[in-house]
Amino acid sequence: MKIAIGADSAGFELKEHLKKYLSLKGHKVIDKTPENDLDFFESTTRVAKAILANEADRGIAIDEYGAGSFMTACKYKGIICAEVSDEHSAKMTRDHNNASMITMGSGIVGKRLAESIVDAFIKGEYSGGRHQIRVDMLNKMA
Amino acid sequence: VKISIGCDHIVTEIKDHLVEYLKEKGYEVIDNGTYDKVRTHYPIYGKKTAEKVVNGEADLGIVICGTGVGITTSANKVKGIRAALVRDVATAKYAREQLNANVIGMGGRITGIGLMENIIDVFLETEYKETEKNKKWIEKIDGLIEEDSSIGDEHFFDEFLEKWEKGEYPNE
Repeated sequence: MKIAIGADSAGFELKEHLKKYLSLKGHKVIDKTPENDLDFFESTTRVAKAILANEADRGIAIDEYGAGSFMTACKYKGIICAEVSDEHSAKMTRDHNNASMITMGSGIVGKRLAESIVDAFIKGEYSGGRHQIRVDMLNKMA
Repeated sequence: VKISIGCDHIVTEIKDHLVEYLKEKGYEVIDNGTYDKVRTHYPIYGKKTAEKVVNGEADLGIVICGTGVGITTSANKVKGIRAALVRDVATAKYAREQLNANVIGMGGRITGIGLMENIIDVFLETEYKETEKNKKWIEKIDGLIEEDSSIGDEHFFDEFLEKWEKGEYPNE
């Protein structure tokens, strides 16, 4: 699977860690933020645009809390994003919301939890069905 | 302080509990529903709750669904809303203080009632601390949605609801 990843300066280290982790698992990781001096607005925008351009199947955006990246990502029309700090939310947002992006806080989530969250997010599949009306509604919004 | 609150049918009783909790604390509460357990769709309530904040009827908003993702994402898709989806107090505090978050979202199947109350308390009590840096972030976030003609449009989702009524979405 192709995964676009990006982080601001606070999330840089966790991004580097996850990049290695995902690459070792055989995923193609596209690092949208090789530089270590960006703010969350710029890093998240790069990941969201990569998803909208179909460069990647999933996007991961990291900053210190995950909140600024989440606010930013949601504003892009066509992006459904989840701010997560647990595996169940990461799994369910694929299943029910068909989310293409997650955001995490490097100051909130440790490395092992972050690995487990991205595993759940990547493995999770959208179940469609009754959930599609809600996804259609979200996509009509911004 | 006036609070706008909304939820979907998965967590109605949690929302009802929080409405009582807030009223007991002296807050005025606008309850945007849903009001029962009949299957409905979170974007309806995320949008309604968020619009009350944007148009000034309420100061801050609270949204809850199963994971919180769907309803908080829909709130964020309203121009002028900055919603954080949290499972801890620290993020709620940061979002209010640094990002001037005006909506807080939580997952009723993720976070327990005690922690939710704590998150809400801190979110409502924390004040935005404006800096040159965070002011620019906020302007950039708000600027991503140029104009939002859907604000206040109660028929915005009608096309999907009609399809739903006709049974054109699988009911599984």
